[in-house]
Parts: sequence; structure tokens; C-alpha cells
Amino acid sequence: MMCSEIFIGLLSCLFFQSAFAQEKKDSLVLRLNLKFKDETLVQNKKYISESKDTLEIDVLRFYISNIKLQNSDATTFSESNSYHLIDIENPNSFRIPIAKNSGEAISKVSFSIGIDSLASVSGAMSGDLDPTRGMYWTWQSGFINMKIEGKSSSCKTRKNAFQFHIGGYMKPNYAIRTIELKPINSNLEINVDIAELFKYIKLAENNSIMIPGKKAMELADKTIGMFNVNNTEN
Amino acid sequence: MKVPFKYLLVLGSIVLFSLAFTFLKPTPLYLKIPKGWPKPHYDFSKNPLTEEGFQLGRQLFYDPILSRDNTISCASCHLQATGFTHVDHELSHGIDGKIGNRNSMTLMNLAWSKSFMWDGGVNHLDVQPLNPITSPIEMDETLANVVSKLQKSEKYQALFLAAFGDTNITGQRVLKALSQFELHLISSNSKYDKVMRKEAVFTNQEQNGYQLFKTNCASCHNEPLFTSEKFERNGLPIDTTLNDIGRQKITGNAKDYMLFKVPTLRNIQFTFPYMHDGRHKKLTEVIKHYNSLGNDKNLSKQLQKPMLLSDNERVDLVAFLHTLTDNEFLFDNRFSFPRE
Repeated sequence: MMCSEIFIGLLSCLFFQSAFAQEKKDSLVLRLNLKFKDETLVQNKKYISESKDTLEIDVLRFYISNIKLQNSDATTFSESNSYHLIDIENPNSFRIPIAKNSGEAISKVSFSIGIDSLASVSGAMSGDLDPTRGMYWTWQSGFINMKIEGKSSSCKTRKNAFQFHIGGYMKPNYAIRTIELKPINSNLEINVDIAELFKYIKLAENNSIMIPGKKAMELADKTIGMFNVNNTEN
Repeated sequence: MKVPFKYLLVLGSIVLFSLAFTFLKPTPLYLKIPKGWPKPHYDFSKNPLTEEGFQLGRQLFYDPILSRDNTISCASCHLQATGFTHVDHELSHGIDGKIGNRNSMTLMNLAWSKSFMWDGGVNHLDVQPLNPITSPIEMDETLANVVSKLQKSEKYQALFLAAFGDTNITGQRVLKALSQFELHLISSNSKYDKVMRKEAVFTNQEQNGYQLFKTNCASCHNEPLFTSEKFERNGLPIDTTLNDIGRQKITGNAKDYMLFKVPTLRNIQFTFPYMHDGRHKKLTEVIKHYNSLGNDKNLSKQLQKPMLLSDNERVDLVAFLHTLTDNEFLFDNRFSFPRE
């Protein structure tokens, strides 16, 4: 028994060694910086939006899917099985290794916010799409593309809470949105600024979206503006 | 010549490996599609059926571990002897004695279903259990917590190992195992089926009822599954204590007001009460309701022509509906509570 364990150990060492080495040196990594304006976004810290709401964030979770890269030589790369759950509580999720680095300059990166309709009708999924992740609706099938919950004194609700669950896979309320960005110097670092969303929301009037529909579609449109390439020098 | 110990070691490991895989490999199962039935809608390639997967799903189906306080199982509202539904209650019961908003649906021939629930809000068999598990008036639990409870159970570690080849218990696996059990719930051995297969004959009364059925009911309750899988407005006035608007709640579209899924009629003799809110206790009441309709633009178009059935014809129709009872299914030991 001991011997076979050693053998398995050796085998797995070989596998993992090569896997790790690749990830460290040669991989392209999409990095997401969660922000509120110029600050790094922190849970349960008070921020003031352009709509003059004082707010704090308890939950911020969203899906990035279907990541595609276009190189300056016009070759393209599409990540397979490209579904990633970004969660403010899990900093590892801010970093998405997507491909081997070909050394070619990257002229475009595109991805979707949310989950496509095909994955939404394909039954129980695994990994980041597992329904235990709290991003799946139950009374009506489909993924929540983006979940933002928090508190604001502007909300005359129980515990001053606001909650936005943006999703929907059936037309005309298909809430997935696609973004195309042009990285500077092939830098795949992207800022996700939620101030860009809250500037369109007056929390006293609009503080709860929990179902697919027109309101979710309008908010989904606004989420596009949250994503921008990071143009600060590192 | 001495064989180096190293080679023996490698050889031994390979043999051990292969042995382990022979033991761990689950036994494949194949659903028998009844003759003349359409192709199932469920994509089996994403959830290949196995004996171990089926048995795991069966354990989960009958286990109240799925509910917050370990009191409610799937079988609480879906009893085999009554076509896997909750009889004698207009509205089904859940946790803490809470009463639901709808009459629980039957579970049979689910591999052919394209949507689930009375309003069709659920689009795939795998994700249907999320609905009762998380409903605050049914099981009031989360899938994540169900997974964590199962992970602590030695019994389930062994069952997941047998079904999936390792003890990794995930939400996806719980749901796929439940589907495995439910997909096997095929009812295709009623007297009606035997008559169609020329193994039995209808009585004159049943035969007359069958003709009436084909003229008046079969356009929505399509043979052989006895449902069109569509949503229809069947003329029931809204129950103002429930204000259940049906399909409109899912689509948000006013034209879907009071549309409900056409349920199967198989085993209808034992699945009372009837309709989405269980308002009719007897089949004769249901037929009287449909017999009273007609010439109403608000109804689904199949119901706009009055049925005008006589008293005798209504009795014949009930006699036919009783031929949809499948005792082999209702008392199949493979689907019953798993005794150790």
C-alpha cells in the first residue's frame, strides 16, 4: 500500500509541477480591481455616490463569461468553458488566468457580464455555476448575473437595505451584457467601479430589483460603464 | 536473473489501479422508452444513468435532510401510491405545518417534460428541486447547507463514492442524482397502454369514453403522455384568497394571465384533488367544469366549442380515465422508500 501511495505521489508531482510552472510564467491573467471611484472598494465602508446617497456594500458578486482576446496580428483566442464568479469576499476570484502568453500584443479584450441563455437552460452545472454559489434563482430558473446588496440611510426599507439582483435569460428580458475594451500596452488590468452604477440610482426611490424585467434590463445597461481599462502606471 | 524491485512496484501499482477502477465504476442503466412514445426531452449525455446514481437519488428523495429542520422530504408531498403527489389536500403542506399556494404536481414521465411547475418557471429537471428546497413554506433550506449536511454523513459519502467515483459532494451532484431517480419514474403499463399494445381490450363503456376523450380532451392532453406540455387558460375563476396569476408571474406578459401547465392525466384516479389549487375533489366535478364552458374568448381556443356531454357520456369518460391507472408503477418496489 505504501509503495502505491509513493507512486501516485510521484505521478501527481509531475503533473502539478508542470501546471504550476505554466501558470506562473507564461499565462495571461485578467485582473479586476473592485473600486468606488478612485478608492479600492471595501465591504461595509461608507461611500457617497454622485446621487448624494451614503451607502455601504455587503454583497458584491457577479459573473464574467465568454472571455475573448484579439491580438495585434488579428489572431483571436476564446477561453473555453469561460464562466467566472467574482466575489468581493474572495480576492482570489479577482484574478482570472485565461491563456498561455503568446507574447503577441493584445489589441482587444471582450467578455460578458452574466451567463448566456444556453448555460441557463442546461440543468445543474458545476464549479462557479453550481447553484450552491447563491447565484441561481429558484422560483424561476436562471442565473443572477450580478448581485449587489448593502445599506443606505436613503433607503426607507427594513434595516435600510438595498438589493439589486440583475438577471434574466428569456427575451425580451435577456440581461447579459457584453463589453469590449482596448488594453493599453497589453495590460489586462480592469477597474470595476461601482460608483459608475450608483450614479444612476437614487436609492430613496429605487432600492430593490429581484426579478428579471424592464428594471433589471435598464440596470444591466448601466453595469457596462463600471468596467474600464486601468490606465494608471504601475 | 532477478527482477528489479522497482519494476515489480510499478507493475503492482498498475494492477491495483485497474482493480480499483473496476470496483468503483458505477453500473450503467438505460431507460426503456415505451414503444410508440416520442424521444425524451432530457439530455442523458450530461447525466448518464447508473444504478448507483439512481439509488443515491432515491435516498435523497426520501430523506428529510433536504429541509431546514429535517422534517420534510420530497416524498412528504410526492407519495408513490398516489402518483407521486399529495392527495386529500387542496394545497400542499410544508415546513412548520405551513400551507402552500398550490396543489403539488404528480411526478411521472419527467424525461419528456420541457418545463416544470404549474407556471413553467423551471426550465430543467435538474434545477427543479431548488424550488421546494429553498421555499420558506416548503423546506426552507439552502442547497449549500444541504451539501454541508450530506458531507458530514458517512452514509452519503459512501453513496456519492459509489455513484460518482469519489466522495466529493457538490450541489450539482445532489441535483443530478435526484434527476436520476425521477427520470426512472415511468408510468406506461396502465390498461390504456395494454389496450394500445393489443394486450387487453376496453369495455364498451371505456371504449365510448375513449372516443369522447379523443374528441373533447386530447387536443391538450395529447396521447401517449396525456399532456401537450403547453400552458392554457381553462376557465377557472381566480381564487381571490390566493390571487395566483399563473404563467404571467414568470413571463410578466399580460397575455399569460391565469395560464397554467396542462398536467398529465396518467394515474388521475388517485391524484385528487385536481387543478392547480386543488379546488375539485372529484373527476366528475372536473368534467362538469369543462362541460359548462364554451363561447368565451378568454378561454384557450380548444375550449371554446361547448362539449355538451350527457350524464351517461360523462360517466363513460370517467371510466376511460380510470384506465390510465398503472398499478405496476404505483406499487413498483424500486421506487418506494429505501429500506436498509
